[in-house]
Formats: sequence, C-alpha cells, structure tokens
Amino acid sequence: MPTVTIDGIRVQVETGATILDAARKAGIWIPTLCYHPAVSPQATCRLCMVELDRGDWKQLVTSCNYPVRRDIEVSVSSARAVAARRGVMQLLLARAPENEQLKALAERMGVEGTPYPTVTTSQRDCILCGLCTAICAEVLGRSAIAFSGRGPERAVTTPFRQPAEDCIGCGACALVCPVGTIQIRMHEEEGEIEISPFKTRTKMLACQECGAPVGSVLVLKEALDRAPMHRESLAELTRLCPRCRRKRTAARLTEGRTLAAQAGYVAGTKKAE
Amino acid sequence: MTVLSSERLGSPADLEGKRRQWRERSRSCTKRVRVCIGPGCLAKGSLALYELFNQAVAEAGADVQVEAKGVGCHGLCERGPIVIVEPGEIFYQRVEEPDVAEIFRETVVGGRVIERLLYEDPDTGAKARTAQDIPFYKAQMRIALGHSGLIDPTSIEDYIALEGYAALAKALAAMTPEQVLAQVERSGLRGRGGGGFPTARKWRSCRNAPGQPKYVICNGDEGDPGAFMDRAIMEGNPHAILEGMAIGAYAIGSSQGYIYVRNEYPISVERLKEAIQQAEQLGLLGQDILGTGFSFDIRINRGGGAFVCGESTALMASLEGRPGEPRAKYVHTVESGLRGKPTNLNNVETWANVPAVINRGGEWFASIGTETSKGTKVFSLVGKIENTGLVEVPMGITLRRIIEEIGGGIPGGKAFKAVQTGGPSGGCIPAEHLDTAVDFDELTKLGSMMGSGGMIVMDEDTCMVNVARYFLNFLHAESCGKCTPCREGLAQMLAILDRITHGEGRQGDVERLEELADLLEGTALCALGKTAANPVLSTIRYFRDEYDAHILQQRCPAKECRGLFRYEIDPEACKACGLCLKDCPVDAISGGKKVPHVIDQGKCTRCGTCLDKCPFGAVLKV
Repeated sequence: MPTVTIDGIRVQVETGATILDAARKAGIWIPTLCYHPAVSPQATCRLCMVELDRGDWKQLVTSCNYPVRRDIEVSVSSARAVAARRGVMQLLLARAPENEQLKALAERMGVEGTPYPTVTTSQRDCILCGLCTAICAEVLGRSAIAFSGRGPERAVTTPFRQPAEDCIGCGACALVCPVGTIQIRMHEEEGEIEISPFKTRTKMLACQECGAPVGSVLVLKEALDRAPMHRESLAELTRLCPRCRRKRTAARLTEGRTLAAQAGYVAGTKKAE
Repeated sequence: MTVLSSERLGSPADLEGKRRQWRERSRSCTKRVRVCIGPGCLAKGSLALYELFNQAVAEAGADVQVEAKGVGCHGLCERGPIVIVEPGEIFYQRVEEPDVAEIFRETVVGGRVIERLLYEDPDTGAKARTAQDIPFYKAQMRIALGHSGLIDPTSIEDYIALEGYAALAKALAAMTPEQVLAQVERSGLRGRGGGGFPTARKWRSCRNAPGQPKYVICNGDEGDPGAFMDRAIMEGNPHAILEGMAIGAYAIGSSQGYIYVRNEYPISVERLKEAIQQAEQLGLLGQDILGTGFSFDIRINRGGGAFVCGESTALMASLEGRPGEPRAKYVHTVESGLRGKPTNLNNVETWANVPAVINRGGEWFASIGTETSKGTKVFSLVGKIENTGLVEVPMGITLRRIIEEIGGGIPGGKAFKAVQTGGPSGGCIPAEHLDTAVDFDELTKLGSMMGSGGMIVMDEDTCMVNVARYFLNFLHAESCGKCTPCREGLAQMLAILDRITHGEGRQGDVERLEELADLLEGTALCALGKTAANPVLSTIRYFRDEYDAHILQQRCPAKECRGLFRYEIDPEACKACGLCLKDCPVDAISGGKKVPHVIDQGKCTRCGTCLDKCPFGAVLKV
C-alpha cells in the first residue's frame, strides 16, 4: 500500500485511491464542490487543488481524482495550493454571488468575497459542477438532464429545454446539488412533483389510506422493477405513505401473533410481552 | 481519381515490381502540366484551370503526349494558382483561365516560356523560371510535405512511383518493432501537434502498456486560426500519413487506426478516404499487409466543429461518441485512452514524417535541426507578410529568415511589430527576438511556443492589446466550459481586455490579468485552459507600454482600437472634393467647395468611412 504524506501526516491508502481519500483518512479538510462518492470524480470545480511534490518540480493537481499509485508527498497548506483554491472560489463567487451555500464554504476557506464582477450568466446560481448530470446518468441511467452549450453558453438542461420525458422525478439531482440550486417542489393540489429549474413534472402517488403524498409514481415503478422482492406485496406497500405503512405492518404483526397464539405457538413472544 | 488496374500486392517484391512499372510509365510521358489543387490555389479557382488543361490535352490529339495533373500544395499560396510545366519545371504564378490556352500552345507544345506569368522579384525585378530561382523556396526543406506538389494526391501509383510505401515494406519485412522504435528514437522526432513530446517515447509507453487492443490515432482536427499545415498534408500527400500510421502501428502493436478530421475539411476527408481505399485495394492496408502477416485498418472520423477536440482526451471522447470534453491526464492516454485501451495519438505532420525517418534512417533525420529539435517544421505563414503561404524549414532557422527571406518581409513598407506563433495559445514575439532559432525550447523560453505551426505576422498598425483580446475571445468561445478556471477565468480576462480596448481600463488591470493567467495555468483541466493566457502574458511582457497607453492615456498607439484615436483632415492635403462629407453617416464633416473639410469630433463616431473614401490620403488617424 502506498504512503501519502499530506502536510507532514503519513497515511497509507489502497493503490488507486485518491489524494482526497488519503486526506480524509488523515483528517485534513480539503474543500470540494463537485465531489460525491456516489458518482465518478468530476474534477470540474477545481476547488480541491493541492500541490504535488514531484521531486524536481511541484504541480497543482485536483485531489478528488488524482490516483495514488506510489508513495507521494502532497501539500494542502502550501501558499500556491491555498492561492489556487482561493482564486477558484473567487471565480465561483463571481458567478453565483448570492448563493448561501457557496458563501458559507468561502467563509470556511477564509475567502472574503470576490474582486470580480458577474460576467457569466448562462445559468443563474449554478456552478456547473456536473454532479446532477452525473448522478442522473451514472446512478439512475436516465440522462434526463445534461450539459448543453459550450464555454460561456454551458448550462444544465433537459433535451431542448422541454420537460424531460426521461425524468422520473426522483430528486437525486437536487440531493447532490452542492449549492442547493436544484429544488424539489411539491404541487399537492395538482398531485405533481416538480424538479426545479428544469420544469419537469411527474405524477405524485397519494397514500391509499390517508391521501398524503407518497412519492413520484415513476420512481415507485422503477423501485418495483429493481427491488428483489415479491412484487405484489411490495406494490401494496408502496401505495401507502410511511405512516400508514407502519400502521399496516404493525396490524399484521398483531394479527399474526393472535393467530399464532390461537394455534398454541408461543415461542419467542414471551420476552416481548 | 485514378482507376486502379492492380490487384493485391502479395510481397515487398511485388511492390518493388509495381514501383518500377509505374515509374517507367511516368517517365514515358515527358510533358506534364502540374496544377496546384492545394487549399490556397483551390480557393483561387485552380480546379477550373485543371479541367481546362485536361480539355486541352484531350483536344490536342494523340501525337502530343501530355498529361495534366492536379497536385498538392506548393506553398507560395500568395501567388496562386500555381501551374508548373514539365520539362523545365517552368513555374507560372497567378494563372487565370484565359492563360490556359496560351500556356498549352506556347510552353507545353512550343517549349517557349511566357515571361508575363513568371514570378518577378519585387525588389530586384528579376524573373524566376523555376521554383528554385525564387527566394521563397531557397531556404526551405521538404520532408513532411514530401512530394506534395509533385504527385497527384488521388493517385497511389504516383506516390508509390516516388518511394511510397517503401518505408512500410522495409519496416515489415526487414525490421522488428523494436528496431523501428530505435530508428524513431534516434531521429529525435518530437510531436508536431504542439506539445513536442518525443514520439518514440510515446510509442514505447503505448507498446509497453498492458491491455489489448491498442489504438493509433491521427489528429487532423487542425483548428488554429490561420493554420492549414495539416490540411495541406492531408490533401496533398495523404498516403504519407497512412504509411506513417501503419509503421507506427507495427511498432506499437496495434491493428486499428483512426484519423480524426475536422468537419470543416471535407476535401481532406475525401482525399483520405480515397487513399485508404486505394491502399486497401493494393493490400497496403487491411489484412496481411504485403504478405507479412501484419494487419492494420484505418477509419476516418469527422469532428463536430469544436476546437477543444484537438486536445487528445477530448478527441477520444468525441471518437467514442461522447461530448468532446477533456478529462484529467493523471493516467496517460498511452495507458488508458480510447475506450480505456492503450492509445497512441500523433498529429498529421508527425505521422507524415515517419516514412522518411524509416527510409533514410534516424541518423539522417537527426542531422537536421537543433540539439533538442530535429528535422523540419511546416509553418503556415500568414498575416501582414508579402508571401502568404506554407513553408517547411529545418528546425533552428531564425524567425528573421522565415519572415524576411522566405516571407519577403512586410507589405506596404510598414515596420514589423511581432509574430504570433503557436496558435491561439501561443505568444507574440517582438522584433528584438527575430534572431531566435526556431525550435521547441527556444520559442517556449520567449513565452510563446511551437504549437502546431501557425505563424501570424503583424505590422506597426496592429494593436497588441487587441491581438491579445482577439485570441482570448477565440478561446473563450471555444472553451468547453467544463472546468471553472477556463470558463469563468477567461470570461473575466476578456471582460478586462474589453474594457481596456474601449478606453475604460483601470490601474491594476494588468496585474489582475497576470493573476488570472497564473490561476489558469495552475488550475485549468486541460492544455487549452492552461495555455490560454499566453497571448495576454506575452503581449504584457513585450508590449506593456501599449497596455499602459490604453489604460492611463486612453490612447491606442497603433490606432486600431475604435474610440482611442480620432480622425482629422489635413487641410493642406484636402482637395475639398466632398466625398467624405457625402458619405459620413452622422454628418460630422463640414466644408464647401474649395473649403478644406473639418470633422466635428463631437459628432464623429470614428467609423473610418472618411478614411476609406478620401482619394488623397488627407484623412489622418491621430
């Protein structure tokens, strides 16, 4: 196992692990935005830059996707690495100056505001990190959203900016969005779930018992297709909201116990009673 | 297109037999008209000339043995269309359609030279009969361009008659892959696409990388503004690329190659396609090449029009059918490239050099050039230069010789200001460094780079701040937008340069540009972003005074940035003709008959119409 020396702390990691993995193991914080363990490294935000010592020269690398293949020495706190991360953060702040999450991260990094004006406006409040498109493609296998446009025109969009047919309204994109730009909106009166800002809407399933929202119909369908369970019993469960589901399960258990007691079968029940 | 009469060549001896046969046949016809159908001449209508010559040949009858032939680029595009008549290699320039009949009658049939169509030295007035009498050609040396200009690019027979595929036969029949690698290593050949990475080292890494199959790729996504070297090779000497790739594939252990050609080069695609077909037909590509057991196929892929696809990882993504965006190269493409397999990518010109290296040996190639840069380099010489065109020169030649001797200097008696090398990511080199030897390392030391070989010459009327803005604007638009520094940083830099060139620069702008340039260099994902600031940095380095004039005095010394200079009418020179007055779109000019005209600076929008209209040169930029 190769050894990574980070700011003087030595940790061993599996071959192929990243510098970021090593840093987390060493308890050293490196700011990240486009990193998420559920998807492959994007390395687009460039916020996790560290300085790699190559012996006769030093190189800035992104820690989230630099694979450790031999013993290496890395500096997170070198002046050059700090300046690089600060510079990248300033550019991001110029892009999304109002974003609270971004401002909070900047503060944690010790970056006070940005000297730059806002000059890129292809997508408001979005830092184009790519986590949403990656999770939609890699984990959901849907690609309901993807990048469109090039350079200054780049934006995350649905195909032709129309509501995406491939969107199942799962909200994974909103979950991984590091700056909270993607939001799940519930429209209870219409019985629909909207993924904002993509304007895609999917039908919401209402609980059979109480009418409360259970989730997107398409997500439940997907879950039924994928789950290694008895289809009918799962289908039955998914038609209920979590609260009613608990109630029904409890009722069944009680019913089962009553039946068992009637049959004179008592094993395992004594302690609970 | 030549219709092939031949069947597959089963062995190197078969190839030699055909070579002798085709060489003899070509010698039997002593009269030949070679019409350049390279990019420059083609744009000036040379295809029509070629057809007219063909017609003339057909009408001449059987007793006149003449052949008309379309050939690849001659280089002196400025004087195109170029027509060369054999015997005698008579070099005719700026040939027009009505000249065809005269050339055919006088020179081809009559053997007389038409003085009017010869090249005339602008300084001495001396007429040149052949290319070798023209200063433009004297300092040049052709390896990569090879027989382009002599051979018909659509004829494999032409290529074979002139040593074509001899290097491949030699490599397959008489050399081990290791020996091929050793020759390429000895040659010192470095990548011609921009980076200058040692070719043999790349090949060896790919050969040694675990994983099958292995791929070789030819990068024909030439996208630098003003550059057309690779296009000229693809369209003038396509078989040299195929042969080079086949040799490389043999050395590396690959049986599948791809040529990625930018979509804007339809003729390149056509010529390469035709060349591949011909080579396959003769068994020089495909299964069991020349009966040696080595198999190699080449496919052509067209790019989608993104500059960034010239970057190797973006190119491979595009080849796979994904968006053409680069990825980190912490794991090199020779280990994990196309479809995650070991992949060796070289530029068009690099591949085109390989047959010569094998034919004549690595030692020979290494004898040309400088200590660290061997062989020749093709440059497209454009901008404010007398002889616009394509030049191939030995490495180590000075910029001065390229610009003054070959290029013929700056037109209109203007003074040289800078030469931009290395494409949009290169830098601007000023007059004081004109005696620098052109090689990979020397150009890098000057803050520029070799790049793929674009060379844009600028004269005293060029504003260097505006040049920086132009290239930055290009890269800003061509950035894929994947990583923050390139997408956001270039936008910020462009905004600053826009302000400066509009006279709204502020103190500290230059320092901010330098800061952003440094950030980009350190943090951008790919080479496009890492080097994007070079035009800005090099112009700051050599032309800081121009930045200061813009920022501190709202003045453009080259009088190019609109609003940072004014137009005035010289009352002595003004003949009061009224032309400017009549055409001024904002009625800012007053005056009458015999009254010198005056521009009202308050109304003037500095559009420059008066300057263009004045027949007496009385309108001045001040």
